[in-house]
Amino acid sequence: MPSATLLGQALISGVLAGGLYGLLAMGLSLSWGLLRLVNLSHFALAFLAAYIVYELGTSYHVEPWWSAAMVVPLMFAIGAGQHWLFDRFKVNELASLLITFSFAVILEVAIQLYWTADFRRYETEYATRSIKAGPFYIPVLELVLCIVAGLLAWGTWLWLRRTYVGKALRAAAEDPAIAAAYGVDHKKLAYLLSGIGAAYAGIAGTFIALIATLAPAQIWAYLGVVFAVVIIGRLGNPMGALLAGMLIGASESIAMAVLSPAWAPVVSFSVLIAILLWDPEWL
Amino acid sequence: MLLEARNLHIGYGDAPAVWDVSLEVGGGEIVAVIGPNGAGKTTLINAIAGLLRCRRGELRFDGADMTRINAHAYCSHGIALVPEGRRLFAKMSVEENLELGCYLPSARSARAQSLERVYSLFPILRDKRRQPAAELSGGQQQMVAIGRALMAKPRIVLFDEPSLGLAPTVVDAMFEIIARVRADGAAVLLVEQNVLKALGIADRAYVLEQGRIVAEGLPGDLLQQPHIREAYLGV
Ligand SMILES: Nc1ncnc2c1ncn2[C@@H]1O[C@H](COP(=O)(O)OP(=O)(O)O)[C@@H](O)[C@H]1O
Ligand SMILES: [Mg+2]
Repeated sequence: MPSATLLGQALISGVLAGGLYGLLAMGLSLSWGLLRLVNLSHFALAFLAAYIVYELGTSYHVEPWWSAAMVVPLMFAIGAGQHWLFDRFKVNELASLLITFSFAVILEVAIQLYWTADFRRYETEYATRSIKAGPFYIPVLELVLCIVAGLLAWGTWLWLRRTYVGKALRAAAEDPAIAAAYGVDHKKLAYLLSGIGAAYAGIAGTFIALIATLAPAQIWAYLGVVFAVVIIGRLGNPMGALLAGMLIGASESIAMAVLSPAWAPVVSFSVLIAILLWDPEWL
Repeated sequence: MLLEARNLHIGYGDAPAVWDVSLEVGGGEIVAVIGPNGAGKTTLINAIAGLLRCRRGELRFDGADMTRINAHAYCSHGIALVPEGRRLFAKMSVEENLELGCYLPSARSARAQSLERVYSLFPILRDKRRQPAAELSGGQQQMVAIGRALMAKPRIVLFDEPSLGLAPTVVDAMFEIIARVRADGAAVLLVEQNVLKALGIADRAYVLEQGRIVAEGLPGDLLQQPHIREAYLGV
């Protein structure tokens, strides 16, 4: 059994790493829950954003927040553009999986053509900074990520609860025809939401560029765990997505510390299955 | 005329459900459409609310051609639907359901007043305003569905079988509410299987059978017709 300090450190690292799961899950959860579109290319978009931030940072010495300011609106536009395709071809939930899977593969190839299959590392001074709290170390970048993710989740949650547009999106998710009868132009709102989902991928990508080593095949690395997180957090619920991300991050990290690193991938699906067994209506 | 439908044909895919139906509702009128199950009443009322497209025919509301506009623009003309089976946003709270009714900017500016009006009409909804709509009883859900329509500040309210599945005492209250809606200035198009009650409240009525209008006129006259007495009153 590892020491209490080690477990505590594992818990902190896990929660912080889970922030990225939550951030990635948020955009997916919104479009799946509210538009019934499952966007597998969400991860590819995040990595495209990460590579652009990397490129701007290494080749042009642009500070990462300036890169983010460029990449996030770009992702919004790509998300809205994707929605144009969904809309044009009247894509349903299942077809959206196939189409966005193809889109992800195309993006992976495009990334590989431009940046090659080599590992890329965006070295910044931020990556090494950490705060010491008692016996524990808290990496600053991950902490910032979690704060940003928390603010985004909270803001999005408020937006969905408090504003007319948010309520209209929730209503249209339940009964689009009746929502339309009360004036909701679901088509227009769907563009907005698709753009927002992709913009979140842009924000996640910015952090991925700073935290992780980039390789084209990495776009698939988060797929399984983030899908579990989306479902555990409940579709369409940004706060749920973030909390589920942190829960899974912490569980993985503890499993790695107590059992062995090989156990980590099993954790998210075990939690998911446990929840579905406990409440089959969860999905 | 406020609402004018001329020779409407409506259907689902290749299957026609309503043929050559013409119908009118004047300002401040209560007009009933009666007919047996499967006659096409819901199809007709949903098409008037913009939920379904008409295949052929003319649909005018206050002179405006409605066949060419988007589904989400019907409401801005002043049409509000109380749909069959209520179709509330089940996961949303009672008040959120009501607020969806005043989604359009014109109605939104009167949100506070409209909410007050709905809550004074249905005091129980004020107590339940934070509860998910799914948790309410059938009668209370029908109140929310009507309240949602009133929040839109409609010029016509379309009721599709508002008394369906309600306890008899609640049914009477429901018809009183319909009379109130008209008294407050809106026209009413009422689809009902409760023929006596519907004809009791209506100024005029249409009889729809197998997708066609087979009779129309004043309720008193319709009640004299042998076919109506036999088919709907069982006498
Ligand atoms: N969504 C639908 N798809 C296909 N056919 C339908 C649909 N809804 C109703 N119908 C058919 O249209 C006809 C009229 O139905 P409806 O308008 O619901 O009648 P009513 O409201 O008078 O009971 C029926 O024959 C019914 O089977
Ligand atoms: Mg019906």
